[in-house]
Amino acid sequence: MQSNAKYLALFLISFFLLPIKAEFIGEISLDNRHFFNDGALGQDNNHSSISFSPEIFENLEDDRIFHFKAKLRNDNKDTERNLVDIQELYFIEIGESKEIKYGMSKEFWGVTETSHRVDIINQTDTTESFDGEDKLGQPMVKVSLEKNWGNIDLYALLGFRERTYSGDKGRLRLPVLIDTDNPIYESSAKNKRTDFAIRWSHYFDEFEVALSHFSGTSREPRLMPSAKKLNHLTPYYEKINQTGLEALYLIGGLALKLEAIRRSGQGDTFSAATAGFEYTQVGIADSRIDLGWILEANHDDRLSNSPFVVGTRLTFNDSYDSQILSGMFINEKTEEIGMLIEASRRIASCCMISLEAMYFDDANEDNGEIKLFGPFKEDDFMRIEFIYYFGE
Amino acid sequence: MNYTNQTMKIVSYFALFLSLTLSSSLFANRGLEIALLSDKNNEGYGDSSSTMTMELISKKGDVVTRELRFKRLEVPEDGDKSIAVFESPRDVKGVAILSYAHKQEADDQWLYLPALKRVKRIASKNKSGPFLGSEFSFEDFSFQEVEKYEYEYIKDESYLGKDCFVIKRIPLDPYSGYTKQLAWIDKENYLLQKIHHFDRKSFHLKTQTFGEYKQYLGFFWQPHRIEMQNHQNGKSSVLKFEEVFFKQGLTANDFSQNSLKRSR
Repeated sequence: MQSNAKYLALFLISFFLLPIKAEFIGEISLDNRHFFNDGALGQDNNHSSISFSPEIFENLEDDRIFHFKAKLRNDNKDTERNLVDIQELYFIEIGESKEIKYGMSKEFWGVTETSHRVDIINQTDTTESFDGEDKLGQPMVKVSLEKNWGNIDLYALLGFRERTYSGDKGRLRLPVLIDTDNPIYESSAKNKRTDFAIRWSHYFDEFEVALSHFSGTSREPRLMPSAKKLNHLTPYYEKINQTGLEALYLIGGLALKLEAIRRSGQGDTFSAATAGFEYTQVGIADSRIDLGWILEANHDDRLSNSPFVVGTRLTFNDSYDSQILSGMFINEKTEEIGMLIEASRRIASCCMISLEAMYFDDANEDNGEIKLFGPFKEDDFMRIEFIYYFGE
Repeated sequence: MNYTNQTMKIVSYFALFLSLTLSSSLFANRGLEIALLSDKNNEGYGDSSSTMTMELISKKGDVVTRELRFKRLEVPEDGDKSIAVFESPRDVKGVAILSYAHKQEADDQWLYLPALKRVKRIASKNKSGPFLGSEFSFEDFSFQEVEKYEYEYIKDESYLGKDCFVIKRIPLDPYSGYTKQLAWIDKENYLLQKIHHFDRKSFHLKTQTFGEYKQYLGFFWQPHRIEMQNHQNGKSSVLKFEEVFFKQGLTANDFSQNSLKRSR
């Protein structure tokens, strides 16, 4: 994080020294999470944070784009949740049916909604939110080619970002602390290793497909007992090979989705998959409200049981873009249910407000199974977030 | 001789049959004829880029404004390609929709979400829903290929001092939010002036009007103001084209999935 802050400072200085005509925008977000129960490990019940994300975007010429976006976050309880990250700092050179991107960036792969199996380019910032959707910037060189037979993306990933974990005073954390200061790498190059990835994607009318392969340091570490610190776990980042498949098929308003991976290099070779569908009822009961349904099942060779998820998305189609998302994570074997509800709307043209609540239910406290949500059973929470956007 | 006579007879019967079917089909398709002439206005523009604002006007008269950019490429043998990029409100800045229209089958559509850096294929069949919270539906925004409707000529009528044809069109797509539309097309330039949209219960739900037509490239007529009035909820939306440029040299390269991701 230190070196990241240094680069950011350097960059900002150079930016203001070299005046260029660009679009300068950003957002400031205030959020508060209220936990209904005392933390299982004595953590506080109210956690607030402030985030600041400045962004610069410029079309330098017709065939070159510059983009910069940083994210700075300060948490009032958990220092591990403080963040200085360059999310985007790249140039794109545009050619005829090809482009080259170099710098820090984020890249998303995948089709499913509730879990992202294939997505692997960026490291996850688990402290931002529970869902794993928030990522850290990754240094890369990416070459994209558009061919008659599909799009090819080739990646050289320069260096490695460690996963963030909640600290001692944080909530939604494992009962044992993660020693993020002393990660272990399988590669002798440690976090300086260059990883490679390739992805082919194409579509045939209503059918979308992508195949990808990643060879490099796993973004997801295995957690090992620490040799340095008592009662700590150490992230162990191994070299893996992962092949991924994404498929989507539209039948009318119904989208069938599949994501599957096969990964070797982390103990036994394993497979994992998420499959399901998304269906939208447009204008329910003669109103202008759309109701979307999401049903997704999960499988992971490493787990005895994976949850399936039922979700709904109410889109009000009003001038405030009001939305309510809900999800239920059902783990049959361990008899656990997790429930999530998320509502958001715009307030004037500058601001958004969102509410999020999460509830973990354990029907049978001791049924001899290892509980998936066990560590979080005291962590039911409600979160309110206010975002202010600045710049045009 | 007998043989020739009979041939002549068959030929003349055939000719009569042919002329009857032709004239009756011509008569029934006068609506189609007008629609085809009107559609000619959408040809030959090559490509266009425009900036536009959309005003959402509540029943009480409160106005909120959205800004978007729109790029379009003519693909003569198939449907047109387009990218719409949202500029404001700020929380949707950079959200973009890429569409490949097709004459026969459903359009292909992708949505780009910049916060997630995700390109998502969307079901173009869900087109009857509102576009950006406005009174326009996605369907009103997509290209209305002639092949996707059945037509019938209704009458001649004057609208805002212009002599117009009134034709009825029935969407062939079962996913359309409309059961029928009445279109007023002026006789001088065959330009759309007004459309009455009838919902699934055959209720006259919305009225769309086209105004401030300007001619570009010496032949291409572009409306600079399109208004949609919803008669059920009393709200209306006005789409204003601020700037329109034609033949800027856009190619299929500017309408790829990669270009969708860098379209802001």
